[in-house]
Amino acid sequence: MLEHLADRDGAQTVTDMEAGLEHLKRGTLEHTDTLLIVVEPYFKSLEAAGRVAELARHLGVPAVYAVANKVQSARDEAAIRDFCAAKDLPVVAVVPFDGDVAEAERQGRAPLDRTPEAPAVVALRELAAKLLASAGSPRADRVAD
Amino acid sequence: MKVAVAGKGGSGKTTVAGTLARLMARAGQQVLAIDADPNPNLAVNLGVDPGAAAGIGSVPLSLVHHTETAEGKYSVGMDVAPEQIVAEYGAPAPDGVTLLLIGRVEAHQAGAG
Repeated sequence: MLEHLADRDGAQTVTDMEAGLEHLKRGTLEHTDTLLIVVEPYFKSLEAAGRVAELARHLGVPAVYAVANKVQSARDEAAIRDFCAAKDLPVVAVVPFDGDVAEAERQGRAPLDRTPEAPAVVALRELAAKLLASAGSPRADRVAD
Repeated sequence: MKVAVAGKGGSGKTTVAGTLARLMARAGQQVLAIDADPNPNLAVNLGVDPGAAAGIGSVPLSLVHHTETAEGKYSVGMDVAPEQIVAEYGAPAPDGVTLLLIGRVEAHQAGAG
């Protein structure tokens, strides 16, 4: 179904995928042009990200990136960067661990609305700007508003 | 741009997806945010009020058919035009984002394959 919805003219799609790998063989990435793999700084998360990246490339997804999330220290960041470098997986964003994101979750609110200047949200603004710039959007700068 | 966000459960993938969708919409893009997770919670991360989010219906699985090719690869098709799906099941989210739930397994569908 995803590819049919993604084929609509002019519309951008952002899909929150099912966790895990099983769905990938059902063709869920068929028309994806940019896959973001959210990865946390611990071994099982890195390992899973490596497998998803490998599968996505095998399926022909044009751009596959890691988004480092919940990064608490330089050591966390280095662990993710080292692993991703070994897998030839570019790290497109480093999102710091941010208590405001967890608090928004508890309150049932969007971090973007509750704490628009929280460090994690700022990092995601940079990511959005980067993606829009790579897609040639003339108003990519607007995400920084 | 057709962005998909993957990750383990609890990785924060839904926060990344929801925030990105809003920011892309703010940049002037027409954005369709698709929740393909069987346990959907993208709505709240998009800033939809939790009460309203609970009332958003999922696109019925009956509209989708899976076919398997000779090479063992799956292909997914729909019997209804995408525009019609979006018009019928799309829910409004802040910044003009349209949200579509496609992955939720309803209680009466569980086990039905």
